[in-house]
Amino acid sequence: MKHQLLALAVVCASVICCRVSPKQKALVTRLVKEGTGKTTLAIGDGANDVGMIQEADIGVGISGVEGMQAVMASDFSISQFRFLERLLVVHGHWCYKRIAQMICYFFYKNIAFGLTLFYFEAFTAFSGQSVYNDWYMLLFNVILTSLPVISLGVFEQDVSSEVCLQFPALYQQGPKNLFFDWYRILGWMGNGLYTSLVIFILNIMIFYNQAFRAEGQTADMAAMGATMFSCIITAVNCQIALTMSHFTWIQHLFVWGSVTTWYLFLLLFGMLPPYYSEDAHKILVEALGPAPIYWCTILLVTVACNLPYLAHISFQRCFNPMDHHIIQEIKYYKKDVEDQHMWRRERSKARQETKIGFTARVDAKIRQLKGKLQRRSSTLILPNCMPSPCQ
Amino acid sequence: MEIASGPSTDLSAARTIPIDSSSILYEFKQQNLPACKPVLKPSYVITTFLLLGFIFLPIGLTTLCASRTVVEIVDRYDSECVPGAFRGNKVSFIKDSSLPKNCSRILKVRKHMKAPIYIYYQLDNYYQNHRRYVKSRSDQQLLHGLKSSNTGSCEPEESNNGLPVVPCGLIAWSLFNDTYTLIRGTKKLSINRKNIAWKSDRDSKFGKQVYPHNFQNGTLIGGGKLDPNIPLSDQEDLIVWMRTAAFPSFRKLYGRIEEDLKADDVIVVHLMNNYNTYSFGGKKKLVLSTSSWLGGRNDFLGVAYISVGGSSIILSIVFLLFHIKIPR
Repeated sequence: MKHQLLALAVVCASVICCRVSPKQKALVTRLVKEGTGKTTLAIGDGANDVGMIQEADIGVGISGVEGMQAVMASDFSISQFRFLERLLVVHGHWCYKRIAQMICYFFYKNIAFGLTLFYFEAFTAFSGQSVYNDWYMLLFNVILTSLPVISLGVFEQDVSSEVCLQFPALYQQGPKNLFFDWYRILGWMGNGLYTSLVIFILNIMIFYNQAFRAEGQTADMAAMGATMFSCIITAVNCQIALTMSHFTWIQHLFVWGSVTTWYLFLLLFGMLPPYYSEDAHKILVEALGPAPIYWCTILLVTVACNLPYLAHISFQRCFNPMDHHIIQEIKYYKKDVEDQHMWRRERSKARQETKIGFTARVDAKIRQLKGKLQRRSSTLILPNCMPSPCQ
Repeated sequence: MEIASGPSTDLSAARTIPIDSSSILYEFKQQNLPACKPVLKPSYVITTFLLLGFIFLPIGLTTLCASRTVVEIVDRYDSECVPGAFRGNKVSFIKDSSLPKNCSRILKVRKHMKAPIYIYYQLDNYYQNHRRYVKSRSDQQLLHGLKSSNTGSCEPEESNNGLPVVPCGLIAWSLFNDTYTLIRGTKKLSINRKNIAWKSDRDSKFGKQVYPHNFQNGTLIGGGKLDPNIPLSDQEDLIVWMRTAAFPSFRKLYGRIEEDLKADDVIVVHLMNNYNTYSFGGKKKLVLSTSSWLGGRNDFLGVAYISVGGSSIILSIVFLLFHIKIPR
């Protein structure tokens, strides 16, 4: 019986169930969730909605006159029903993009860092010696590359909230999973692999076995490790700067601040007595800072790592743009202000009329027009015939 | 000032909360912070690639030229310096301390070499970056000598016949001990063996009051001996050796010559072939090299810069062509 109800319900534009108990609300939600396999959202404001809210994939509670039970049982809570539109179209859209980008970038930076350690093992007779000082590895994920990702995940907006509301079709990028498909994930991992290879190979070829300074000193493991690590930090942070499309002062502070923090750390750590800093004692001040090859290497490696990604996004944006790229460009060039007609046309394209019930509306219109036509024809016939009662 | 009201279905009087909409905290919470949203216009992209190309190509050419000015002489001597009779069993030759280990090599200077000329010894297939090897030292003992008891990581080269070894550990035990004397014509070239180690090592890592003690006294000789009358901070060979190299093929600074070497000079090198690299198939080489502002001879940096600059310019041209053909 319930399968027949489900089969009927999914072809309707909307279904109203009234006089249902809380248990039945939950059961209907479960029926739709399991029967269609789609993501369900339930919104309610009273204690009788709690079952339904908990049953659905996403539960939204409205805090209001009926108390706070719905709010306490829900995943999201809003204060008015009309905020549901903002919740989905603005925050849902942003959240999807942010999480997708954050996860892909996290894999990228850790692959770029971790693989260089593995490559080095091939040169140490696989004995397990790491080329970096322990402190560098500790701080990599804690301070030096974590804050930019957090700012990406919290503040990133591909389009502003007004545009999200005006272009509801952009929300479809989420359900269609355009930003977290395998192509993108593997692409970022490949980027990480490429970055790690570039960093490692360029560093070992540049610092091969000859002197790296005018005074004739050769590079030992400490100098090698510090240089490679500086290259990683700079390349990875420049990569996230290329990924971000919304730069507030927070993003600038975190991204450029991370790179600066690394140099500050190297400087201050090097000033500690060798009991604490071991190999890194005075390495920036004495060995690497005055060496032009160090700075040249960092510049070269950073650009070599980011050039393919820059080329890729440029080509994609200019010759195969996605919807939000076009809207970003319209906003950037301020064409929405100049060309109102085009803006309105784009907006209307972003709103799809629902197809369900289409024929019903058309049928109703036809009946209405027929009715009008018959009334007119009956008034035309009247002068020729005897007046007769209306049919 | 904006006024936010409570739910419209609230029958009681609507609560009004005055909010300062211009405060930073409000903008932060509303995710409305002032931001710049850069857009990759084709003109920006083409300009960026061109700029990168025009910066990198000159840098590449400069570094390549600098590397090309460096003159380098490399001479492998470990197989040649074993007398013919012992070529079949080099290990027994090197381990026999009664056999003379001196050897003479001839080096020809191809181009004029300006002072200072650096002398390096290069070892190949020598894994100074092996984990067990790198750990086998005691930095505390190097700084404080016999007063330090923290030498556990130096096992098994920690003590010998019950007496502690200073400096302990495998790294010090395997000290390189080939020596080189260079003669040009009839005159011996003076080799400056001071200031070859990092200043911070001499000052802070190797103690000025620490003297070698009971060093290289065991049955198994791993390398060179140390003069027990010279403090560790002046034993620059040891200090240079203890800076473990990153790769199995490495060079370490031996000394520097403060005179010029003219082209077509013939240098005779009298070396003592003491160090045993024959047990593990290692190679020993003597390197004489000048240096530029960039360092030693390595064309790779210049070539890499030129490649990246060149590909950047190619990308910008391709982009320009695409943009002209397929405008949007």
